[in-house]
Amino acid sequence: MPDIVITVNGELRPANVPAEMTLLSLLRDVLGLTGTKLGCDVGDCGACTVLVDGQAVNACLMLAAQADGREVLTIEGLASADRLHPLQQAFENHAALQCGFCGPGAILSAKALLDGNPAPTTREIREALAGNLCRCTGYSKMIEAVQAAARALRGDAP
Amino acid sequence: MRGFQLFRARDSRHAIELLAQHGPEARLLAGGTDLLVELKSAARAPRIVIDISRAADLKSITLSDRGLEIGALATHAEIERRDLVRNMLPALAESVHSIGAVQTRNLGTLGGNLVSGVPSMDSGPALMALDASVILAGPRGERHMTLGEFFVAPRRTALAADELLTAILVPKASLGKPAAFLKLGLRKGQALALVNVAASAWLDSGVLKQPRIALGAVAPTVIRAPLAERYLDGRSITAETLAEAGRIAAGEAAPISDFRASAEYRREMIAVLTRRALQRCLTL
Repeated sequence: MPDIVITVNGELRPANVPAEMTLLSLLRDVLGLTGTKLGCDVGDCGACTVLVDGQAVNACLMLAAQADGREVLTIEGLASADRLHPLQQAFENHAALQCGFCGPGAILSAKALLDGNPAPTTREIREALAGNLCRCTGYSKMIEAVQAAARALRGDAP
Repeated sequence: MRGFQLFRARDSRHAIELLAQHGPEARLLAGGTDLLVELKSAARAPRIVIDISRAADLKSITLSDRGLEIGALATHAEIERRDLVRNMLPALAESVHSIGAVQTRNLGTLGGNLVSGVPSMDSGPALMALDASVILAGPRGERHMTLGEFFVAPRRTALAADELLTAILVPKASLGKPAAFLKLGLRKGQALALVNVAASAWLDSGVLKQPRIALGAVAPTVIRAPLAERYLDGRSITAETLAEAGRIAAGEAAPISDFRASAEYRREMIAVLTRRALQRCLTL
């Protein structure tokens, strides 16, 4: 079984994993980080989206061993002890989630976008979220939330 | 997923050594966006998986005397973002941008897309319309071949069990050639092509030269439309010429009916997309 060391939300996490274990399974079943959701398990729904070295990927389509030596950010790594991340706050303010199952993935896709593009157009936001399927809220409020978070992160007036 | 033994290849040479050792029992893992989906539903897992995703020598995108060489492991996201590609091969940038969603493009590789041999792949038509070739490496050395030779049948390519696709070469003569890629799916985001078309042509005082038309999702492999190309070569551009080329191209395909679209609809759309792709070449 491969011995690996992954940085998860800033912490070094050594693990000994079966070769066929996905990064998603490592996060949820071994590390107990269940904020990352198991949806379709074939890379269509985006519920398992995490950032690996800053890039949005489907954790169900990556072996845990492939994340060896890399930095993984999950939804648990966004908020500080007493404060939500501006994206989380904006999703709450705009009621961008109902059941919330797609939320962690959608928020991390939005974070990857804003990290590289602090002032995205509506079209750019739609493209960034195209791989995150939501079956209850719809996408308009998510797009508004991402725009609001982008303003907050830029320090613009809300 | 069923268990397997995992090896990590340091570079292409190491990958070829591992393939020579484990041969037909091994599968290569690059971006994983196809392979992991397949392994999750496979009744029988391969005994060995060779992870080539970190083979650094297969990731570069470089300009040389031969043309633009794209390492097989360059991801779709890396390719679509590269200025070199956007400036010289915008049709290729558009084709890889149309693949999956951001998450898929961050993992999936150009080599993986080609090796999948899926007729609806998006990179294939764009590369074929640019006369691209592939470089395969194995224990017997390197082989170069055109994409037309590489694609054999649905999900089958000319790649031997002990070979590795190392790079894709877009020849110098195609760099900057006006080209366009158009894809019709059931929706804009994360859709497989019902039909995709790429076209390229030089324009010489109102006359088309070296036209290329490549079609995806409408035959057992990605194909060229040689009759339509021959019809266009040396012809002056008129609306009727381009429409006729579209009709000829539609006749060269062998689309099937499935739950996404009927063969008749696909054939009609080949004509429309071919005409539009040619029009777009002319406005570049």
